[in-house]
Amino acid sequence: MLGFAKGLGYTFKQLTAKKVTHFYPDVPYPMPPRFRGIQHFSPEKCIVCNQCARICPTECIQLTGKPHPDPEKKGKIIDTYDINFEICILCDLCTEVCPTNAIVMTNNFELATYSRDELFKNLNWLDDNNTNVREEN
Amino acid sequence: MSMNLDMISLNSEFSEGTGLRTEEMLLNVGPQHPSTHGVFRLVVKIDGETIKESLPVIGYLHRGTEKLAEGLNYTQIIPYTDRMDYLSAMTNNYVICHAVETMMGIQIPERADFLRVIVMEMNRIASHLVWWGTYLLDIGAMSPFLFAFRDREMILELFNELCGARLTYNYMRIGGVKWDAPPGWIEKVKEFVKHLKKEIENYHALVTGNEIFINRLQGIGKFDAKTAIDYSLSGVMLRSTGVKWDLRKDEPYSVYNRFEFDVPTATEGDCLARYQLRMAEIEQSLRILEQALGQFPEEGEIMGKVPKVIRPPQGETFVRIESPRGEIGCYIASNGKDKPWRMKFRRPSFNNLQILPKLLKGENISNMVAILGSIDIVLGEVDA
Amino acid sequence: MSEEKRKPTPEEKAKAAAEAREKLEAARKAKEEQAAQASAPEAVASSPEQNAVKAEAEPASADQLAQAKAEAAAKAKAAAAAAAAAKAKAAREAAEGGATDTKAAETEAGGADADAKAKAAAAAKAKAAAAAAAAAKAKAAREAAEAGATETEAGGADADAKAKAAAAAKAKAAAAAAAAAKAKAAREAADGGAAETEAGGDDADAKAKAAAAAKAKAAAAAAAAAKAKAAREAGEGGAAGAEAGGDDADAKAKAIAAAKAKAAAAAAAKAKAAGGDAADTEAAPKAPSKNQPHLDHIVKLITEKFGSEVIEASYINELAKEVPTLVIKNENWHDVAKFLKENDELSFDYLSNLHGVDYEDRMEVYYHFYSYKNRQNLAVKVKTDREQPTVASVMNIWSGANWNERETYDLLGIYFPGHSELRRIMLPEEWVGHPLRKDYVPFDEEV
Repeated sequence: MLGFAKGLGYTFKQLTAKKVTHFYPDVPYPMPPRFRGIQHFSPEKCIVCNQCARICPTECIQLTGKPHPDPEKKGKIIDTYDINFEICILCDLCTEVCPTNAIVMTNNFELATYSRDELFKNLNWLDDNNTNVREEN
Repeated sequence: MSMNLDMISLNSEFSEGTGLRTEEMLLNVGPQHPSTHGVFRLVVKIDGETIKESLPVIGYLHRGTEKLAEGLNYTQIIPYTDRMDYLSAMTNNYVICHAVETMMGIQIPERADFLRVIVMEMNRIASHLVWWGTYLLDIGAMSPFLFAFRDREMILELFNELCGARLTYNYMRIGGVKWDAPPGWIEKVKEFVKHLKKEIENYHALVTGNEIFINRLQGIGKFDAKTAIDYSLSGVMLRSTGVKWDLRKDEPYSVYNRFEFDVPTATEGDCLARYQLRMAEIEQSLRILEQALGQFPEEGEIMGKVPKVIRPPQGETFVRIESPRGEIGCYIASNGKDKPWRMKFRRPSFNNLQILPKLLKGENISNMVAILGSIDIVLGEVDA
Repeated sequence: MSEEKRKPTPEEKAKAAAEAREKLEAARKAKEEQAAQASAPEAVASSPEQNAVKAEAEPASADQLAQAKAEAAAKAKAAAAAAAAAKAKAAREAAEGGATDTKAAETEAGGADADAKAKAAAAAKAKAAAAAAAAAKAKAAREAAEAGATETEAGGADADAKAKAAAAAKAKAAAAAAAAAKAKAAREAADGGAAETEAGGDDADAKAKAAAAAKAKAAAAAAAAAKAKAAREAGEGGAAGAEAGGDDADAKAKAIAAAKAKAAAAAAAKAKAAGGDAADTEAAPKAPSKNQPHLDHIVKLITEKFGSEVIEASYINELAKEVPTLVIKNENWHDVAKFLKENDELSFDYLSNLHGVDYEDRMEVYYHFYSYKNRQNLAVKVKTDREQPTVASVMNIWSGANWNERETYDLLGIYFPGHSELRRIMLPEEWVGHPLRKDYVPFDEEV
């Protein structure tokens, strides 16, 4: 019975140990700087190169561009930009290929909703999701 | 997922001796059952408390990874491998990168190689800790689970700092790794290694020496080396029968040949031996970690020279490495394009699970969970 | 053309050796009419026995080359010494008792030409194996070069080899080239011959005459890492010229499977190339691997037991860590499988992996075996028709094949007669179609 008693001893010792649990929903849980959360999208930076849509393994990004309103300038600007968070796996590849850092990760991760429709995020929503933006990309 | 219960016929017979009529019955375990650690279904035919026959039913988590891979380029496949063996995604990341790198002859910078080894060994420890906690939970001990997850949480936090995710890391890339270690990270890992070395002693005190525990596991789920090899078992399942085989040692990849470590083996081939081996493996992984952290290059590149578009040469390759569960392999048939023609993963859990009906035959029903748990399966990997 | 004079870079020599080997291989291949494997090296006019071997081979994928090699291997035993372990000694020995004429070859940048003339005495048996392995030391090359001359040019290498062998002579020449091959190999290849080398371009002329009764084995190993020595050996009995230049190409070549040429033709074989010359080979990246002897041994054992026709091809798969790979005839697979496990010298007791591949024109089942007794890997492929794909089950030999075969059946629709319960395992019983087939169309789009 010695082994048995030794085990119990270790358990009892934990009574005085420091707590390791978090009060998560009540106290926000801080994520480290590199954390991959919901993307933030800056329309003014986007050059409509389509690389994010092409690299996405689940094809959850849809975007369209339109000609630049200023006829002097070449290129396109972004018109619509949608991410379907039903299937987005937050793999970080879109932010990795973006040449202008128009799409970046944030530390926000709470996506629970009552309806799946709400998981379809459009350009405005992603633009407004501008807190806790990841600095290192 | 297919199952055919017609294959199992039930008998009933009258015993003169006891004057009782006994009937065989089918017991359905899972697919939603805590002891199956996922969606695994086991149909057992029992006569009283004795298992006469069993029929594993898998496929509930089949996502067609191999089919999906044929439509993706190699970089895009890496996040999918995270989701196969989700308890040790780093080794899965590594096996696909290693396969492509082998095909293309890409050299990996030393620093990247060390980072890979460090995260793989940490992941091995994390995976074994999950097994340790849940297995003891299976056989009736509650507190080890809490300790195991407390310490595993430290590893996940370290991974979170390194690559921004706790389970699906998507950390490695063809030719290197995505992130360099953040400032101070290596020191934190060193501290963790120290901490866990101490805790391992406590784990042993808590469980390993416990007489009830030993008597519970000794001698059940036994098989010998010949059977293990015949059934394509690998990892701890194989080593518990005395076959000294560890791909890190016998066919070294990455920088494993620079480290000193032992390959623990046992000869009993029972559940207790497998328990002891996994505990010993945690200690060996800590040894490797200590050396890897000590030799970690001060600076250097983390990405090798890789073509912009990854197109392995036409041909096929098959590489295998040692995951926490055994031998994980990756087969790629390439036609020279940026997407694989055919990709196949040799999944250790899938192969190890095959022996289950043989092990269960004739066992007492109460040993079923103990034997299943000792195989250490991850259903994401079984079903791919 | 003295040896001192020529200082070919290792790569050049290796390349040259490789090319020579390829030529030989191609010639042989043409002769034997290998099965149609797409994009196999083209062989132009060649029959070793006729003494004229002219073959142009384009580097194909490693597999193809490898397969070609395997096919060629029939009677020819080419010892491709792969890797460091391949010592040049072999080549030298091959030349034994024989005189070799080697004509120096001229090498031009971008390509290498090798001319080799070899005369062997009547009874001489010449075996020349040119192996190119990354690790192959240049020594190998020298041996290969015996009785031959090789020219190598930077960027590309062409090799012409003329070999004259006495009537009864049998010559086996295997030339392998690898990218990293060091120049040493080339030098060795030139052994028994004279070689000229010029900076930027090397010319090597080697004349080798082999004595009648001599048996010459020349192993030329060129590998990415291969030291130049290999080239020299390769040149035995031939001439090899190599120019520094396309090292990268060589490296790629390494990847390509090692070619085995029973060049009997080559060196020894009285071979006069049509047009009076031996073989022209372009770009040959094959590397003899350290596993080559192992592969030869397996092939020998199987051939002794079942005859040579059960092995459709055998080669070293450079892309998969140099695993020896066999392609076994479908009808004989179950017997061969049993033999692989039960033979004491083979005892492949562990089935690591089993899966199928749909190549659109055929199906293949790929097996990866390991022998815990001999610590050796082996890959086996079995081809089958695509309409009615059928491969004998090996479940009664390796129990571990059980679920793997079920999975292959489920996802690819390959039948495994002999399997005790061949049912779907991943997908539901009522699923329509086999998803991993290339022509699969989902029955229900919603799923």
